[in-house]
Amino acid sequence: MATTTAALTLGSADLLTDALSLSATKTLHKAGSTVGLDATTGITTAFLTATTNIDIFTTLLDNSGDGPAFAGKTSWVYICNNSEDETEYGVVTISGNIIGKLYAGDFLWMPWSMAADSHADNKHGDIELAPSVATGMSWSWGMINEGTEYPTAV
Amino acid sequence: MAITAGLTLTSGADDLTSDALSLSVSTSLTKATTSTALSNTSGLARKTTESASQYILFDGDAYGNGAHKIYLKNMETSPALYFIIEINSEQIGKLYAGDFAFFPWEANADTNDIKIQPSTSASHTLEYMLFYE
Repeated sequence: MATTTAALTLGSADLLTDALSLSATKTLHKAGSTVGLDATTGITTAFLTATTNIDIFTTLLDNSGDGPAFAGKTSWVYICNNSEDETEYGVVTISGNIIGKLYAGDFLWMPWSMAADSHADNKHGDIELAPSVATGMSWSWGMINEGTEYPTAV
Repeated sequence: MAITAGLTLTSGADDLTSDALSLSVSTSLTKATTSTALSNTSGLARKTTESASQYILFDGDAYGNGAHKIYLKNMETSPALYFIIEINSEQIGKLYAGDFAFFPWEANADTNDIKIQPSTSASHTLEYMLFYE
């Protein structure tokens, strides 16, 4: 069983009267169990040169009537904007709905259910990224999960 | 004023993959398109739910556009207990016992509420913190 650990720290000496020094650590498990996650896309590094909204996990099945086989299972998504220009950001959406913008250096770590879209456009919760500039931005992303349903070759 | 956020992902060699995973990132939380630090926070808070209903954790209409960041952690210990996390009525994912998440939130519309729904009607506790402009 694979053991993968995620750890988050949040700190500030001056945001509040009291210092903030929060840490959280968790071993990544399959849904509802203590069995470790054993699949990953690996960490992709990409230099994006268009502002086009892209689907960052392109091998996942989409638009199938039943949804991805791993819908409802546990998937953890990491995305990082590697830009050092504070004006450059990327818009992260899930099934077309904006989650938020990742500015230079920002990262996210969040679960992903691949749930069927409640807005009836049948995208099954795709995670998409749209860079703010077409002059080139470096991004990293990856997923650690229970498994991936790949499209049948044609 | 400075707020730092760091994430590490680790796994040993021949565990998740043949090569060990040792990823580490750190950033300072700033306002949109500037190097000025975020200066507001909800504070570190906890909510214990008392039914399996859906709850609005943060109202999208109350914060507006910005480089907001959200921290969530499921404080439960039983592996089967989870919270469903929704934004704009779209399910992002489930936080099982002990899981945490950290992600940006734009709050770009009054419909962009952050909602949580516990897996059962028994009491479930979620820890959360919002950093906002």
